[in-house]
Amino acid sequence: MDYNAQLKLQALLDGELPEDEASEVAKWVAQDREAAALLEELRNTRGALAGFGAEVRLPESRQFFWSKVEREIQRLETPAPKPARESYLAMVRRFLVPASAVAAVVIAGLMLNRSAGPSGLTVAAEIESALADSGAFTYRDYSAGTTLVWLSYPADNEAAEIDEMGTFE
Amino acid sequence: MAAFEELVARHRDRVYARAYSMMRNEEEAVDLSQEAWVKGWQRLRQFHSQSSFGTWMTRIIINLCLDQLRKHKRQRAESIEAMDEESGGVERQMPVVSVNPTAGLERGELRQRIDQALGQLSYEHRMSLVLHEFEDMEYKEIASTMGCSIGTVMSRLFYARRKLAVLLSDLKNRDSV
Repeated sequence: MDYNAQLKLQALLDGELPEDEASEVAKWVAQDREAAALLEELRNTRGALAGFGAEVRLPESRQFFWSKVEREIQRLETPAPKPARESYLAMVRRFLVPASAVAAVVIAGLMLNRSAGPSGLTVAAEIESALADSGAFTYRDYSAGTTLVWLSYPADNEAAEIDEMGTFE
Repeated sequence: MAAFEELVARHRDRVYARAYSMMRNEEEAVDLSQEAWVKGWQRLRQFHSQSSFGTWMTRIIINLCLDQLRKHKRQRAESIEAMDEESGGVERQMPVVSVNPTAGLERGELRQRIDQALGQLSYEHRMSLVLHEFEDMEYKEIASTMGCSIGTVMSRLFYARRKLAVLLSDLKNRDSV
């Protein structure tokens, strides 16, 4: 007997075959002892299981089981406590703390810049050359608060003019 | 809530029995039953009397058990599908049990033997049997519930029945020795 034939026997037992096929299989079973024996075995197993589920009882008392179910339902239905609303003062404080830190950094930066000089450069000294008179040089030391001016006399351009006229001694 | 308590009292054994027949573990079956009743309460508005309340609750517990069994299966290193394929065809070679192995047994004894034998089936085979024999589901419904083809349901059911017959016969022979 092939596997499909065996499955057909089972389908016959379970009432899963269309009417015409069921009568065909029933005829075959009537003629085949092996098929009849297998069908009988399947029927016996089915009979043994009949009513088996009804025998099983929940091993907990009605009250105890219900109390567990009820408690779980109540636990799930109780809304989770909302976090306490933040006070106005706390909200202001939350904003002010980082703002004041930023402000402190900005002020410190400005103070450093001011002490570094008007141009904002961090170098402590610079040399300027007066355009009007290229013979004059100004040296400013900001850290020491000193300003020095060199004046060459005669000025370089004046010296050249004198040379053209003749050496003055 | 009092009405729901009454419903729990009326159907709790049926729901537990289904959980137990599928899980084969008392503690797990109790926990899943409890979960099913909580879900039943939460989804009560979805119950529209198309089926009886007991049947509706049974569907909830079946789905919970299936989810739980799938979790167990994922945790196991060995795939049950692979085992099924290995054992496929074994039932075709099993000799037919000609004598009814449960004939003449008292109900308690019969229950104990069936319980023992069911515990030795793989969960797929046991599930097919439970859904068909205890829930009166058709092949098509079982296939849809278990997420497999009708052909697979037929094979699993056939294997489960044949294996159960052999196991019950073995138990009978062992007792008579």
